Amino acid sequence: MRPILLQGHERSITQIKYNREGDLIFSVAKDTVVNAWYSANGERLGTYNGHTGAVWCVDVDWDTKHVLTGSADNSCRLWDCQTGKQLALLKTSSAVRTCGFDFSGNIIMYSTDKQMGYQCFLHYFDLRDPSQIEDNEPYVKVPCSESKITSAVWGPLGEYVIAGHENGEINQFSAKSGEIIKTVKEHTKQINDIQTSIDLTMVITASKDNTAKLFDSYTLDHIKTFKTERPVNSAAVSPIMDHVVMGGGQEAMEVTTTSTRIGKFEARFFHAAFEEEFGRVKGHFGPINCVAFHPDGKSYSSGGEDGYVRIHYFDPQYFEFEIES
Amino acid sequence: MRDTENMPAEAEFDEDEEPSFSDPEDFVDDVTEEELLGDLLKEKPQEADGIDSVVVVDNVPQVGAERLEKLKNVIHKIFSKFGKITNEFYPEAEGKTKGYIFLEYSCPAHALEAVKNADGYKLDKQHTFRVNIFTDFDKYMNISDEWETPEKQPFKDFGNLRHWLEDADCRDQYSVIFESGERTGIFANDAKEPIVVEERARWTETYVRWSPRGTYLATFHQRGIALWGGEKFKQIQRFSHQGVQLIDFSPCERYLVTFSPLMDTKDDPQAIIIWDVLTGQKKRGFHCESSAHWPIFKWSHDGKFFARMTQDTLSIYETPSMGLLDKKSLKITGIKDFSWSPGDNIIAFWVPEDKDIPARVTLMQLPSRQEIRVRNLFNVVDCKLHWQKNGDYLCVKVDRTPKGTQGMVTNFEIFRMREKQVPVDVVEMKEGIIAFAWEPNGSKFAVLHGESPRINSSFYHVKNNGKIELIKTFDKQQANSIFWSPQGQFLVLAGLRSMNGALAFVDTSDCTMMNIAEHYMASDVEWDPTGRYVVTSVSWWSHKVDNAFWLWTFQGRLLQKNNKDRFCQLLWRPRPPTLLDVEQIKLIKKDLKKYSKIFEQKDRLSQSKASKELVDRRRTMIEEYHAYRENAQKIYQEQRVLRLDLRGGVDTDELDSNVEDWEEETIEFFVNEEIIPLGEQV
Repeated sequence: MRPILLQGHERSITQIKYNREGDLIFSVAKDTVVNAWYSANGERLGTYNGHTGAVWCVDVDWDTKHVLTGSADNSCRLWDCQTGKQLALLKTSSAVRTCGFDFSGNIIMYSTDKQMGYQCFLHYFDLRDPSQIEDNEPYVKVPCSESKITSAVWGPLGEYVIAGHENGEINQFSAKSGEIIKTVKEHTKQINDIQTSIDLTMVITASKDNTAKLFDSYTLDHIKTFKTERPVNSAAVSPIMDHVVMGGGQEAMEVTTTSTRIGKFEARFFHAAFEEEFGRVKGHFGPINCVAFHPDGKSYSSGGEDGYVRIHYFDPQYFEFEIES
Repeated sequence: MRDTENMPAEAEFDEDEEPSFSDPEDFVDDVTEEELLGDLLKEKPQEADGIDSVVVVDNVPQVGAERLEKLKNVIHKIFSKFGKITNEFYPEAEGKTKGYIFLEYSCPAHALEAVKNADGYKLDKQHTFRVNIFTDFDKYMNISDEWETPEKQPFKDFGNLRHWLEDADCRDQYSVIFESGERTGIFANDAKEPIVVEERARWTETYVRWSPRGTYLATFHQRGIALWGGEKFKQIQRFSHQGVQLIDFSPCERYLVTFSPLMDTKDDPQAIIIWDVLTGQKKRGFHCESSAHWPIFKWSHDGKFFARMTQDTLSIYETPSMGLLDKKSLKITGIKDFSWSPGDNIIAFWVPEDKDIPARVTLMQLPSRQEIRVRNLFNVVDCKLHWQKNGDYLCVKVDRTPKGTQGMVTNFEIFRMREKQVPVDVVEMKEGIIAFAWEPNGSKFAVLHGESPRINSSFYHVKNNGKIELIKTFDKQQANSIFWSPQGQFLVLAGLRSMNGALAFVDTSDCTMMNIAEHYMASDVEWDPTGRYVVTSVSWWSHKVDNAFWLWTFQGRLLQKNNKDRFCQLLWRPRPPTLLDVEQIKLIKKDLKKYSKIFEQKDRLSQSKASKELVDRRRTMIEEYHAYRENAQKIYQEQRVLRLDLRGGVDTDELDSNVEDWEEETIEFFVNEEIIPLGEQV
C-alpha cells in the first residue's frame, strides 16, 4: 500500500470524515484547525477558521454543502463547505463532544460534555427553521444525567440518534421527542467511537475495554465482537468487504513504555464474520485516534496522536484475500 | 426520744414472754434454696470440678525467684493460645521451681488442645515440654492389661494427590495469577491452547508456590499458608502464621518453613516456624532478624538436615527431632556463605582472608563433619557457590584482585565431586561475569560475560580427562540471564526487563543458535519440567501493559500468545523424580522410534480434527453472518422510498446512482520535475 501523508495539524487528530462521494476528507484536531483535503492526492482544499479551542468532532451533509464542527471552545459551528464561510455559531455551556447531520441533512444534533457544573445534553436543531439557529433554541434538548455521551451517530432514516456513553451503554434517542427508545450495555468501559456501515444498517462501537462490537442499528442486537489487548479508539466497517478496521493505543502516559520502534502503532484489520485479525498496517508514531473507510471501499484513512492523517490505497491482494473456510 | 410509757398496750403482748418468731411446726417452705441463694451455691466447690481442665507440663526450666516472672510470661504466652488459663501453680523447692507446673483452663476442651499442640514443643535446647491431662495420670496408672484397639480416626481422603501425572496426553500444569492477583488459575498445557483445570477468585492474597515435587499448591493469606492438592485442589492443610511473607519447602515435601516479620518476640521465637506438612503440627520456632537471604534455612537434598548461618556460626539441625546435630553449632569464624550439594549431604562454605590465613573454600561431609576438601584462595574479594543440579560439580566463582594489579579478575574453580579427592580445575575469565549456569544433568556450563553493550556468551565443557574446554563464544548478545532446560542440552539466553525481551534459543550439543526472537518487555522465562516448552511472560508487577505469557517450543518456535488481563505470574507445576531406573530409561530410548510413530499419528489426528472443527466453525459463522446481511439488505430495499423522500428525490443508494448529475472535472497532479540545463546546441 502506498500511503499519502496529510500534514496539516500540529496536535493530535480527534476525528476524520469522508463526504458521501468520498472525494473529500475532513480532519479536525486539538490545534483548533479544521481542514478539508482531496482524498485522491492529499492536496488541501482549505480550512474553516473560527474555533478557538480543540475541535472534537466534524460532519459533512450528504450533499457536501454544509460542514458541522464541535469544539472545546463551547461552540458548535455550521460552515459553507465550498467557501469556508461560517454560517452559524451555536454557543453552549460546555465542550461539544459529538455532532452530526441526519440522513436528510436538515436536522443536526450535538452533545455537550459534563463540565463545570453543567450536565451532558443532547441537542436537536431543525435547519429548515431559521429561528432555532438565530435564537440558539434547539427544538429538543435531552439531559443525560447518569453517564455522559462520548460518541454518537444518526440512525438510518433520521428517526433517532445512536449514542455511546462513558459507562459503555448504547442508547437510541428519538429525534422527535428525545426519549430513549432502546438501551443496551455490552461494553464494560467507555465507548470511544461509533460509526455506521455505509448503508446505515449496522453500527460499530470502539471501546476502552479493548474490544470493538458490531450492532444492528434498528434493534441494537449485538452481532460481533472483535478483541484486542489495547483500548480501541476508533473502528469502521468496510463498504464492500466483510472487513472492519480498528485503531487504538493506550493511555498517553504509558506510551513511552511500549516499543518505540518507528511507526509501531498499527491499524488492525479483522474479518467481520470470523472475528479474527488478518492484517495490520504500521506507520503512525502515536496511538491512532480515528479510522475511516472511503465510501468506495478501495482505501481507508487513519488519524493519529502524532497529528498526521494517512490515506492508504489497498493493493489488489487485499480484495482477493480470503481466510480459509 | 419519746417516752414509751404512754403507748397504748398491744394485744397479745406478754411482758415476760418474748414473741415467737419460729415457723409453725407444720410449715413447709416453698422457696427453694436455688432461688434464695443461687449465686452463692454456684460457688460451692464441686469435687470433680477443674480436674479435667488441668494439664501438667513437664521439663519446664527450673528457675529461681528472679526469673520466675519471666518464666511465667513465657508459659502464659505459649499456653494461652489454647484457651483461657484460669489457674496456675508452679511448685517450688529450695528456692527454685521444681521443673513441672500445673495449668488450669476454663474448660476441658482447651486442656485437650494444649496437650495436642504443646506436647513435644521445644522451648530451647534443653527443654522439650511434655504436656498431659492431669486426670491421665490416673488413667495411665490404671491401664488394663488387656489390649483395646484404639478408635479409628475418620480418614480424610484427599483423593489421588498425584492425579495430574496421569494425564493421558502428558500435559504439564502451570499456575497463573492474573487480574493483578484477584484470580488464580491452574491450566493444563496443550500446544493448541491452555486448558482450564481450576480457576478461583481470591485464591491467594499475594502469590503462590508449588511444593518441590509438585504435590501441593501453597497460597498466602494474612493468617498463614494454605496447601491445596489432589484432582480438585481441595484444601489439604492450613498453617497459622500471622503475617507470613515467605515460605520454603524441604526437598522431600515433609516440612514447610514459614517466615513472618510480625511474630518475633524475645521469649517465644516465632519469626520462622517449621511445620510438619502431613500432620500440620508446628515442630519448632526460630528467631530471625531479617529475611534478606531467603531461604534462611537451607535443606539437604534428602531432607535429613537443615542449616543456617549466623555471625561466625553454622548451625546444622537434624530431622525429625529438629534439634542441633550433636547438640551444638559449628563455630566457623568469618563464614560468609554456604550451600548444600544437591546430590549428597555435603556442605560447601567459604571464609574470607584473615590476616595471614588465606581465604578458603571447604567441603564438609555430614553428619560426620569430616572436611573432605579444602581449597585456599588468594586476594579474594568475593565468592559465589554454584552447584550442578546432581551435585556432580561445584563451581566457585572467585573475584580477585591479583597482587600488583588494580583491576579485578574472575576465576571459576571447578570441583569435580565424583572423582577421588575432588580435584579442582581453574578457568580464568578476563571480563566481568553477568550470569553463570550449570547444565542440569550434564557437564557443561554457560557464562554471560562482558559489559553492556558488548556482552558475550560462552559455553564450556568439563571433560573427563581433566580439561575444561571452551566450546564456543557468541559475541554481541542481548542477554542478561541464562535459562537451561531442566533436562539439559538446550537453553535460552534472555535479555529481560531493561534489555527489552531479546531471546536466543541455543542447542549446546553443537552450540548452534536455533532461533532468535523477541518478547517485548519480557520479565520472566520459565521452562516446563520436561524441557519441551518455554514460557516467556510480561508480568503486570513489572510492566503495566501488554501483560501476557507466550508459549514456545524448546527450539524457539512460537506456539501461543496468551493475553491475560493484568497477568502477574506463571509457575510450572514441578514433577517428582522419575520412578524408572537407568535400565528402563535405556529401553525406552531404544524404542523411541516406535513410540514416536504412535505419537505423531495421534498429533496429526488431533490437528486435523482441530482444523476440521475450525473450518466447520468458520463456515457456520459466515453463513449466519451472510444470512443476517441479506435480511438487513431486504429491510434496506423496503425503505428506499423513504430515503428518496428525505433527499428530495435524489437517489444516493449507490455511489454511481446519480451519474447524470456528475460534473467532470480535470485536476492536474504534480508528478515529476526534471531540470534540463540548456547547453550548447549541437
